[in-house]
Amino acid sequence: MNKVRKIFSSQHSFFITTPAIIWQSLFLWVPLLFLFVASFLHIQEHGARFTLTHYLHIFNWEHIIVVMRSLGLAFFNASVCLIIAYPVAYFLACNLKRGKNIALFFLTLPFWINFLVHVYSWFFLLEHNGLINRLLMQLGVIKQPLHLMNSLAAVMIVMFHGYLPFMILPLYTILQKLDKRLIEASLDLGATRSYTFFNLVLPLSYSGALSGFFLVFVLTFGEFVIPSLLGGGKTLFVGTLISEYFLAIRNTAQGAAFTFLSAGMLIMALFGSYLLLTRLIKGKK
Amino acid sequence: MMKPLHYKRFFLPLFVAAVYSFLYVPMLIMLIFSFNKATLGYAWQGFTLDWYKQLLQSIEIWTVFKNSLIVATAAVALSLTLGVALIWGLNRRHQHILSLFYATIMIPEIVISVGLLTVFVFFQVPLGLVTLIAGHTLLGLGFVIPIVHIRFNELDRRLIEASLDLGASMGQTFFKVVLPFLLPALIASGLLVFIISLDDFLISFFCSSATSQTLSLYIYSTIRAGVSPVINALSAVMLFSSSILVLIFLSLSSRLTQENS
Repeated sequence: MNKVRKIFSSQHSFFITTPAIIWQSLFLWVPLLFLFVASFLHIQEHGARFTLTHYLHIFNWEHIIVVMRSLGLAFFNASVCLIIAYPVAYFLACNLKRGKNIALFFLTLPFWINFLVHVYSWFFLLEHNGLINRLLMQLGVIKQPLHLMNSLAAVMIVMFHGYLPFMILPLYTILQKLDKRLIEASLDLGATRSYTFFNLVLPLSYSGALSGFFLVFVLTFGEFVIPSLLGGGKTLFVGTLISEYFLAIRNTAQGAAFTFLSAGMLIMALFGSYLLLTRLIKGKK
Repeated sequence: MMKPLHYKRFFLPLFVAAVYSFLYVPMLIMLIFSFNKATLGYAWQGFTLDWYKQLLQSIEIWTVFKNSLIVATAAVALSLTLGVALIWGLNRRHQHILSLFYATIMIPEIVISVGLLTVFVFFQVPLGLVTLIAGHTLLGLGFVIPIVHIRFNELDRRLIEASLDLGASMGQTFFKVVLPFLLPALIASGLLVFIISLDDFLISFFCSSATSQTLSLYIYSTIRAGVSPVINALSAVMLFSSSILVLIFLSLSSRLTQENS
């Protein structure tokens, strides 16, 4: 028995683990390190030297405002998703008796639909002579078609639409595990429905809310497809500006510096919202 | 005593129904328009299957579809093989290495994409299907390893010991005991990686060449010019195939959770 244990835990199998580790190092850690080093290098004809000029170059109001805009959009989108998703997840997990499988199917399906198809489906509604404009004109609400495409509103609606399922699913998973007898006990013991919700259900589903919030936050922050197709090119977001640097301007060093600047600001914003959410959900004691 | 208000009971279900219809109405409209005769504009001009015919006959779409399929299949095969090898080979003391792979999903994909592009350009690796496979396999590992790892932890270690005790080699133990146990998790995560690779836009956008366009890139470049009826038909077909994959995935994962409880 001891010998078997020894074989099982011995180092000889370690070499089969290396391909995965090498793969991830080669295509994730090395590229990130590369970007990081490139953002500090001034490349001359012979050799390179350390410099901060790339960071100084991008550390101005025009760049900061792009990051702030993306952060604002990400925070707004994650908050709205959380507020709308919570009742849905709660209903699916706690109230729904029949048709649960169908509801779950339609909740999972958006993850498996090509994201471009998601975005594209909005074209029919938002375009100049699309369905929303036609409907509003038929109803006599507006005389001239609204410019719905290429606007911040379009970006916000489609982001909300695309990322809402990412919020519902983690919330549903956590609420599903919640012991329903706790709610019954709380109501039995004379607590009101709202008291039970704020002091029992909400704190217990805290981790689901948090993971959904951060997931939507990070995804919205780095989003490229939606602003590039529906943002009209004039309003830049982090995702579109990074791709400008790498594909159009072809300035890797400044692009890398901007990438790390926005990543740094993202981490700070995430930490800030973590503190805020913790206060909001757990602070009510 | 006042009777409780009745409409309150209907508020939550109605709200949920509204959210669900919000999620699906745009796609439903797109589905309907894929059968519309009109080339441009949004007036209904009668039923047609022409766009589906055009879709099937389009050489360009078949080419990008083939590219996508090659990349997705390779990414699934590679990430499953590498992931399973890592989990099987890693002993208990080195479990923390796995947390490295959980990091992939936490880094914004655009950062990974520009990083990959920079490295490929620096080492003069020609962009193409190979670079796409490299990137998609990386994404895939971030999903395969967590899913398969959870399943592997549920395997009773005494089964492995018993198998080794009774004279099976490590290889036999792996293929006869461990692999069958992991199978549902492998299929589920394989499907997930497949669809992630098919869906992926950013890595494909940065790390592909003109000759290695994928389905997502094709859709992107077409719809930049606006609505296109052939894309409607393509979207409808993709919607349909996604639904089937979801059904398989859900039935697998419900079986996984049933076994656990």
